[in-house]
Amino acid sequence: MVTLRNIVKDYSADGQLVRALDGVSLEVAAGEFIAFVGRSGCGKSTLLNLAGAMDFPTTGEVLLDGISTNSRDDSALTKLRREKVGFVFQAFQLINTLSVVENVELPLLLAGTNHARQTAVERLSSVELACLENRMPHQLSGGQMQRVAIARALVNNPKILLADEPTGNLDTATGTVILDLLKRLTREQKTATLMATHSAEAAAVADTVIELRDGKIARIIRK
Amino acid sequence: MRNRAFCAAFLFATFPMLDVPYRVALPGYRYEFPRDFFAHSSFQTEWWYTTGNVKTPDGRAFGFELTFFRQAVSRDESKHDAWDVKDLYLAHLALSDLDGGRFYQSERVNRTGPGIAGVSAQDGKVWNGNWFALWSKDGTQQLRAQNDDFQFAFSLKSEKLPVIHGENGISQKSEGVGRASHYFSQTRLVTNGTIELKGKRHTVSGLSWMDHEFFTHQLAADQVGWDWFSIQLEDGTELMFFILRRRDGSIDPYSAGTYVDASGKSTHLSAADFSLTPEGAVWKSTATGTTYPIQWRLVVPKLDVALEARTRLPQQELMGGTRLAPSYWEGAVEFTGLRANTSLRGSGYLEMTGYNHPIQLIK
Amino acid sequence: MTGNAKLFWRLMMRPLAREPVRLGLAVIAVALGVAVVLAIDLAGTAATGSFHSSLETLASNYNLEVTATGGVPEQIVGQLATLPFNFVLSPRMEDVAVVSETKKTVVLLGLDLINEANILQTESRKLETGNPYAGEDLSKGFFADDSIWAGSGLGRKKGQQVSLIVGDREKTFTVRGVYDDKNQPAIIMDIAAAQRALGRTEKVDRILMRVPDGQNVDSWAKQIASILPPGMEVRAVGTSTEENRKMLAAFRWNLKLLSYIALIVGAFLIYNTISVSVVRRRAEIGIARALGANRAEILFAFVGEAAALGIIGAAIGVPLGRIMAAGAVKLMGTTVNALYVSSRPGPIQLGFTSVLTAIAVGIGVAVVAAYAPAREAAQVTPVEAMARGRREFIVRVHKTRDFTIALVLAGAAWASAKAPAVGGKPLFGYFATLLVIAAGTLAIPAAVSTVIRASSRFLKKSGVAALLASRSLLGSLRRTSVLVGALATAVAMMTAVGIMVGSFRITVIQWMEGEVPADFYVRPAGNPSVDRHPTISPELADKFAALPGVEAVDRLRAYEISYDGVPTTIAAADLHGTQKRGRTDFFSGRPSEDVLEELRTGNSVVVSEPFTYKHGVKRGDTISLKLGTSLASFRIADVYYDYGSERGFVLMDRSVMKKYLPDDAPSNLAVYVTNGADPRRVREEIEQAARDYRVLIFSNGDLRHEAIKIFDKTFAITYALEAIAVLVAIMGVAGALLALVIDRKRELGLLRFLGATGAQIRRMILAEAALLGLLANVAGLLLGFALSLILIFVINKQSFGWTIRFHWPVAVLSGAISLIFAATVLAAFYPARIAMRLNPVEVVHEE
Repeated sequence: MVTLRNIVKDYSADGQLVRALDGVSLEVAAGEFIAFVGRSGCGKSTLLNLAGAMDFPTTGEVLLDGISTNSRDDSALTKLRREKVGFVFQAFQLINTLSVVENVELPLLLAGTNHARQTAVERLSSVELACLENRMPHQLSGGQMQRVAIARALVNNPKILLADEPTGNLDTATGTVILDLLKRLTREQKTATLMATHSAEAAAVADTVIELRDGKIARIIRK
Repeated sequence: MRNRAFCAAFLFATFPMLDVPYRVALPGYRYEFPRDFFAHSSFQTEWWYTTGNVKTPDGRAFGFELTFFRQAVSRDESKHDAWDVKDLYLAHLALSDLDGGRFYQSERVNRTGPGIAGVSAQDGKVWNGNWFALWSKDGTQQLRAQNDDFQFAFSLKSEKLPVIHGENGISQKSEGVGRASHYFSQTRLVTNGTIELKGKRHTVSGLSWMDHEFFTHQLAADQVGWDWFSIQLEDGTELMFFILRRRDGSIDPYSAGTYVDASGKSTHLSAADFSLTPEGAVWKSTATGTTYPIQWRLVVPKLDVALEARTRLPQQELMGGTRLAPSYWEGAVEFTGLRANTSLRGSGYLEMTGYNHPIQLIK
Repeated sequence: MTGNAKLFWRLMMRPLAREPVRLGLAVIAVALGVAVVLAIDLAGTAATGSFHSSLETLASNYNLEVTATGGVPEQIVGQLATLPFNFVLSPRMEDVAVVSETKKTVVLLGLDLINEANILQTESRKLETGNPYAGEDLSKGFFADDSIWAGSGLGRKKGQQVSLIVGDREKTFTVRGVYDDKNQPAIIMDIAAAQRALGRTEKVDRILMRVPDGQNVDSWAKQIASILPPGMEVRAVGTSTEENRKMLAAFRWNLKLLSYIALIVGAFLIYNTISVSVVRRRAEIGIARALGANRAEILFAFVGEAAALGIIGAAIGVPLGRIMAAGAVKLMGTTVNALYVSSRPGPIQLGFTSVLTAIAVGIGVAVVAAYAPAREAAQVTPVEAMARGRREFIVRVHKTRDFTIALVLAGAAWASAKAPAVGGKPLFGYFATLLVIAAGTLAIPAAVSTVIRASSRFLKKSGVAALLASRSLLGSLRRTSVLVGALATAVAMMTAVGIMVGSFRITVIQWMEGEVPADFYVRPAGNPSVDRHPTISPELADKFAALPGVEAVDRLRAYEISYDGVPTTIAAADLHGTQKRGRTDFFSGRPSEDVLEELRTGNSVVVSEPFTYKHGVKRGDTISLKLGTSLASFRIADVYYDYGSERGFVLMDRSVMKKYLPDDAPSNLAVYVTNGADPRRVREEIEQAARDYRVLIFSNGDLRHEAIKIFDKTFAITYALEAIAVLVAIMGVAGALLALVIDRKRELGLLRFLGATGAQIRRMILAEAALLGLLANVAGLLLGFALSLILIFVINKQSFGWTIRFHWPVAVLSGAISLIFAATVLAAFYPARIAMRLNPVEVVHEE
């Protein structure tokens, strides 16, 4: 579902070239849950951004559901994201001025899909938050917020789910619930789920754990 | 300084001399009073000239001068609005504070305008602004004038009839028909009145002299100035002389004089009858740089009179601020001398013109 | 202290440099506000400070003047000259001439050039006119009727011929000399020639006097007046200038206040800028506090930031104001000439005080506007230094409380609008406008949230961009409210003035229907002015009347007088009641015929509405007027509406006027065409009859058209002021949206993650601008309507005395508002572009 072929990604920071990823190749199938571990700056987030069509590799190729992100313009990438990708963030990234259900339906609205509200409500019940649809984000607990974020990430039935430290802002118990939810939804929705994390407990949930070091794959642990 | 240049130009060039033939002074003119006290508009130039020596009861002496000039500019019949300039009126006012050693003077020029200046036989008045001479029915004359320094008001009563100078009604000034003026004087005017100087009021009395002369273009080109004397002697007689100076420094033979005896009878004196010579003191004006002889000797063999003229105040020079008239010296003088070996005193006025520039128009 | 200064610099000033655009906009807002205030101040002084300036400078050495309606009989000059006082007199003819070639109006001064020589003597200095006849060859033509001395400003050389239109005649004059006129172009003639040229023999226009110092000028004036006929006005020189200045006070005062609108709008923006600074730098404030800065220092830091903006703004504003003043002075000059008094604007003088005031105002406004947010900054606790994760500072907005205060203020405004004028100035009226603006501003948060909430369903339907925009605006309600408030205030003032001017315009047009009934109007050539009344040769009126096709010719003669210390026009007209005569509206509601009959038969006059207002008189009262040599009493038969001039107007029958001033020359003629005659033919006949005269002939339509043109010119400056205020507000919108974009970087980036296209982001920002614009325009319209009522019925009435009927100037308003709306949206393009170009990866992961 997600294919990375010999990816190199360079950033320039303060005039200096920084190599974030250095020759990474990877293949993630539908329904597969992969966790990336490694120190801060090892290239986890960069890898997720490339997999989410948010960025282009310097060299190499990213294929999402068989479609290369190379040589595509901004609107084509956006279209790709709308149809195939869902994001979950460490800090939940809900829009404070929108209600729970509005947050969830936002990707559909942006994509101009019909029956957005209905789909959003369904997604909310799939994360067991049907009763909170009209709350505002600041009225929710952290776990609830992340569940709303997950509902939002999956509202467009994406083939790829990207989660960047989804439990980083949560206590352990809540984190476990969220990880279970992610795993369950990966199975149910048949998404290729890529998760970046620091936490060993979180990594433990994944089917495969890939350790990155200095932009290279250091180790792959399959369960 | 441009103003001064202008004013000189004004004086010498303003008046178109020949656009209308003005009447000239010719022999046989018949005087008639009070008519002849007032204006003679058919002549181009006319003046009323009052000078006098007065004293306060405690002996403080003043000399004064109030002169009205009329100069015809135009006789254009088509212009008859009040502001149209037919005559220009100049006037000089001076006060000599003989004991205070100060000389005050001012000058003004006006058009007739709507009653600003003029001569009115009907009202018995000659005036320029608020300076005026006013004749009442009984012949007395009121004289009033003021400026920022002083003001005076005099009542003048003549002891004698007007004296007509020259011969056959004209005072010939140079060779040629019409080069003459009609000229008469009131030689003994008993004067009473007040002078207010710098806010202080003085009651004064004394004697004044009034000249009235009208003519058109009287002087010859080589006459550069004149010296004029009015002499009021203690014995009740008066003398008037003028000598006309020529460019070459000589005295013109048309210089003349008049003797008035105590009864008022006058005798014409021709140039041969007297001698007038500057003698002794001169005064140089710091303002104009002109030098004036201020001490004179007068001898009239015919009358057995020899007089010395001196002034107590040398700086009696009139300099027009408007520069409409040239500067000249006119001031109170005193006379001492002998008549038939009897000592004689008198007072009067001396006028000296043309020491600065040749006089061409006014006197 | 140095420590604090460093702290201040590092934490507060340095971040400023990171947002040059937004700060630049704030500085420009202050600069524009300061510039407008300064420009109006300078232009006001220049345009209204020098009436008849040429005449007055040529009169500078005199302290008393004698004038009379219709001129001073010239005998008075002789009378004064012979009084036993040491007066210096200068009788004068004073008028204007038009240089045929350039069509420029210049002062025409008739002097007694002989007498001026005396003045030379007493002044012992140069003639004040610069001695026009210096160096002149006087032997020829000195006193000729065609002799003139030209001011150097006219650019003529000695000996040249100049063609001048004087009154209704054009003549050729010869320049006898040129004098240095010190930039006050004038033509000097001898008084005799001037009288004839002006057709006013036997009268002089003014006698200037210098009286001795011994007693004061007023007591001299009294003493001299007691000698002269009762109709003579004897007063200190400069009285009329003073009177004019007083007359213009209301005009200047109103413009001045109007000029502050841009500054007030600027204040909103400063408030907004500083608020944003405070929100952005909460963490820095917390650090500073944790490091030992006390509250006062924090307060000082932010007030200082505002003061810095104020200083920079003022520094730009002062030169800008000086430049704008040049334009303003032209516009103001037009108004002054059209409505009050003819004057040439004086030079613009940028005085130390004006500059200082402008700078003080700029800084003051900035500091006052910044105080509230700065105080909020001072409340930040050191703990917040650690609150790094807290991205949005949730500002409490007391919607309900503010709305209640707004209602109270509105009530106070209502009461204030009912209060009478204070010393001729509608102080309470101004106060009411301030209260209305304050009330409006306070009501805006409640209004904004109510409106957005109410329209949320509709907004959602119009797309996700609109939904997000509306939510974003609601989410930062305070900021939104300030922006809407600023723009709404500008829109409100524009609407209010627009409604007032529009109402006034329509009122004037309707009034003219009744007041301008004749087919043709004739007046002397030359530039019209309200306080000069050049005349037409009387025989010309007779010629017109005798033309076939002319039914009647009405003659109107106007004079300038000073009534009760106020410049006033007094006029006489043929009131014989032509059939076609228009219907003048009188206060009593009586038919015109009845009123006019009363004027014909008795010593009665009608007066204009502004006259009654200025002098506190009404129908039935008796007024005394100095006419010719007499002081005569008249009964006010009625009061009529007059929008032609702000000055008072007294109208009487011509037969009545002629008893006092037997001058037949009319100032204006109204020609009525016989029914059935061809107006075009008649016009040709009139033009033929007037071929030797320099008169202007206006058809009825022309005259109305010209009147409206003058009217529009008059209000040009008001529109210019409005436009600047609106411009400032729109700049504010741009700046604020930019801030909004920067503050919402994360959210904007997130939206990209969630599948938003760049175009969607741009649309969202534009939608926000559109919403802001829409809200501001609606609020501004409502507020403007309230303000317009105050302007029309309180401020205008109390300042000028006009009764204006309310009208909606629909076309102008809808045009202006669409324009503002469009400009607001356009102003959002730059912030929208910034928003589009944000790198979502960076902004989302930044914190």
